[in-house]
Amino acid sequence: MVRESTSAIVGRNEIWRSDFATEPYEAGWAGELVLFVRALEAGGADGVEARVQISPDGMHWVDEGTRLTLPSRKDAIGYARIAHFGNWVRLVGTLPDGAALKIIVTIHAKA
Amino acid sequence: MSTANTSPDGNAALAAAIAGALQRQDPKLGRFDPLPRILVHDDFDRGFCGWTQLVGNYEHSLDSMLPGYSQHTSPMLSTLGHWDAGSHGGVDGSYALKLATRPRAGAQNVSIKRLTFRRRGPIRLEAYFTFKPEASALRLSETDVRAFGFLFDLQVGDRAGAGGERVMPHVRFLNAEGGAHVQKWQFKRQRVPVNPIGTEGKTISHYHLAPEGWEDLAEGQQSLCYNEIPTKVNWHYLCFDFDLETMACTGFRCNDRFFDVSGFDSLRLPAMKNLWCMLNLAFFIETDTDKRSFGYLDGICLSEGV
Repeated sequence: MVRESTSAIVGRNEIWRSDFATEPYEAGWAGELVLFVRALEAGGADGVEARVQISPDGMHWVDEGTRLTLPSRKDAIGYARIAHFGNWVRLVGTLPDGAALKIIVTIHAKA
Repeated sequence: MSTANTSPDGNAALAAAIAGALQRQDPKLGRFDPLPRILVHDDFDRGFCGWTQLVGNYEHSLDSMLPGYSQHTSPMLSTLGHWDAGSHGGVDGSYALKLATRPRAGAQNVSIKRLTFRRRGPIRLEAYFTFKPEASALRLSETDVRAFGFLFDLQVGDRAGAGGERVMPHVRFLNAEGGAHVQKWQFKRQRVPVNPIGTEGKTISHYHLAPEGWEDLAEGQQSLCYNEIPTKVNWHYLCFDFDLETMACTGFRCNDRFFDVSGFDSLRLPAMKNLWCMLNLAFFIETDTDKRSFGYLDGICLSEGV
């Protein structure tokens, strides 16, 4: 049996400003995942970090501890590897005033 | 003394009876009533089985995608985990396919499987489904999900000749609208505007799941088992028959109800140049409040007559 694996697009062509969060993603079947953020357009997000969060129920969230440096130029990619995350995962953060980031967010999950 | 019927018709009937009896005894297939050839049997304990998000068309830039499609996200494999009672599980096994909307009234999500057909004849879609809102309130919340539904996207083969069509039968269960618990089955035949995409004249897009144009199925009122709190889930059975030869719906049932489809019709467009023999099937979910709605499937069986 091959290992189950999938690529999920959880945000596409969305513009992040100020506080942002990806939609909750459920992957209890997976033992590990990589979360990618690619910038389609970037401005003012240099050095900003986003936080990986996990949840007992998909509604209440807590920081998992992993941080992801957001891409600061078009087509740059930030990523984070996580494991032992339970079932729910999302990415949250805050961009400084005036900053904007148009992104595509991909999760690669693997059993 | 009885005599075995060894005529060709008798042998065929006996073979069909044996095949049917074996299928009904199969724990995986026994809950379906498929036509003789099973094309697809998707059990989400085996992964996503080819179900992906419906992405909109675009050219040069994602900005050209229609807004209805931009909101779509990838489906998930879910154990229907709840804050109060833990994982609910699927019809069998742990996992079901999950479609989730964003938390905005009117938001939709669609999951699709893309095939082609090799024979113009009867097909049957069967599925076990359920829907629930996000359990973020300690209330029954039975009117938070606006609609759950499914559609086919079909097109004739490339030798069908003049007048060939792309045909899109749509069915939805309108659960609630504006807070009213509507609970009725609807279909859609009204064409929606077709938008050119990009500059090369090769791509168009139309958001066929727009709220306009739905019509009531005759005697289509049905009260489904919702249960008593948002985290208790019951699965429902649906069965939809369609004939690829006549491109017409021939039957629809949900649980114990068989509906009159004599007034049913589909969206119909002139055949498009890249879609010959297309056989796409999709499920969708729509929310009626600023709360996520979830549609679940476990499992799906597509079969054809022989």
